[in-house]
Amino acid sequence: MESSEEAAVEKCRVHLRPGTLRDAARATLHLLPCEVLVNRPAPVDRFFTPAIRQGPDGLEVSFRGRKLRGEEVVVPPGLVGYVMAMEEQGEVSMEKDFSEGDEREEQERAEPREALERDFDQFIGAIASFSRFTLWGLETIPGPDAKVRGALTWPSLAAAIHAQVPED
Amino acid sequence: MDRGGPAGARRHVLLLPEYLKDASKKMKSGLMFVKLVNPCSGEGTIYLFDLCLQQLFEIKVFKEKHHSWFIDQSVQSGGLLHFATPMDPLFLLLHYLRKADKEGKFQPLDQVVLDDTFPNCILLLRLPDLEKLLQHVTEEKNPEVDKKKYYKYSKEKTIKWLGKKVQQTVSALKTNNVNVSARVQATAFFSGDPFSSDKEEDYVCYAHGLISDYIPKELSDDLAKYLKLPEPSVPLPSPPSKLDLLTGHFVVAAQRQKRGK
Repeated sequence: MESSEEAAVEKCRVHLRPGTLRDAARATLHLLPCEVLVNRPAPVDRFFTPAIRQGPDGLEVSFRGRKLRGEEVVVPPGLVGYVMAMEEQGEVSMEKDFSEGDEREEQERAEPREALERDFDQFIGAIASFSRFTLWGLETIPGPDAKVRGALTWPSLAAAIHAQVPED
Repeated sequence: MDRGGPAGARRHVLLLPEYLKDASKKMKSGLMFVKLVNPCSGEGTIYLFDLCLQQLFEIKVFKEKHHSWFIDQSVQSGGLLHFATPMDPLFLLLHYLRKADKEGKFQPLDQVVLDDTFPNCILLLRLPDLEKLLQHVTEEKNPEVDKKKYYKYSKEKTIKWLGKKVQQTVSALKTNNVNVSARVQATAFFSGDPFSSDKEEDYVCYAHGLISDYIPKELSDDLAKYLKLPEPSVPLPSPPSKLDLLTGHFVVAAQRQKRGK
C-alpha cells in the first residue's frame, strides 16, 4: 500500500503555472522567532501591524507579551520571493472545463498536453510575491551571524558551484 | 500533521530567479517540480525543471527551529524558506554514468539515464548541450553505423572536472567573504600574512565540502586526495556547509498531506 503510494509521488510532476508568477500581488511577510503550530488566517493587521514601532535600533513590536525587535531584509538581487499554494484537485478540473477553456485549447494546439502533463499530475501556483520581509528576533535584532542571513548568501555561492567549467 | 481544511492550506515561501518571471511570458507550461535522485545520498529530492529555458534548478530549504511566517493576514508554521537555484545537470548525469559503468562498456545516453524509481529522469535528456557537458566526465565513441554517440564514465576526467569546480567555488567564497573557518577570520586581520597558504587550504576544504554535497562519498574521497587535502584525524564537523540548508522536500510534503485528507 505504502509503496504504491510512494511510487505515485515519484512519478508525479507538480506543474507550476507560469502565469501566476507575473500576476502575483505583493504580500507582506514577517519571519517570527517562535513556532506557531497552525496554518490558518490570522488578523495580523488588527493586532500585529499597528503595534510595530520604529525604535532607536530598528523595529519593535510585541507578540504574546514578548518583545520582538526586527529589521527589513531585502531578497538577494536577481531573485523574487513567492508564496505558493497547491491547487485542489477539483479546482484544476473546473479550470480546465470553464474559466481557462479557450486558453487551454490554444495551448493544446501549440503543444500537446500529454507531452508534459499526465492525469495524476498536480498543480501549484504563486498566490503572492515579495521583494523584502521583516526579520524578527526575541529581544534583539538577529545579528549578522543569524542563520537566515547566511542562507541568503546561498544563491551567489550556488551560481559558482554550478557554473560550467572552462574547457581545456 | 494539521488537517485544518481549506483554512489550513500549506503555503510555501520560495525564492526564484527573477528571469523565470520574464521567461514565463512566452510559455503556458513547462515549469515543473519533479522528484529525482539526489546524486550525493541516492535518495529522492525535489528539483525544478524549466523546459522553456531548458534549465534544471535545485531546491534548498532554510529551516531553523522556532520560526513561523506571517503572510499577509495568515500564519504559516515552520518558517521555511525555499531557494531555487540553477543546478549543473552533470552532477545528476554522473550518478547514472557511474551506475552504468559497472557494465564496463560504451552506451548511448538514453540507455544510461534510466530509473524505475525516479522515471522523471528522462527529462534530463531534454536539456541542451548534453554532448558538450559529457565531455568533462566521459570517454565517447561515435560509431559510423548509427548516429548515436556512445559514452563511458571516466574517473580521471571527472576528478579533473571536479577540481575545476572547487577552484571556481573558492573564488566565489572569497568574493562573497564567506567565513570558512575561525582561522581565516584571525588571519584576515594581517594582510600579507606569511601563513596565507593555510588560509588558501581552508577555502579549498570548504569548497570541497560544498561540492561533496553533489557527489557520492567515494568520489568525494578521491577528490580530497587529488586536492591533497589533509586527511582529517577526526571526522570534520560534516561537510562544512554552514549555511544550514537542506535539500528540499518542498511539494512532496504537500502531496502527502493532501492524500491524507
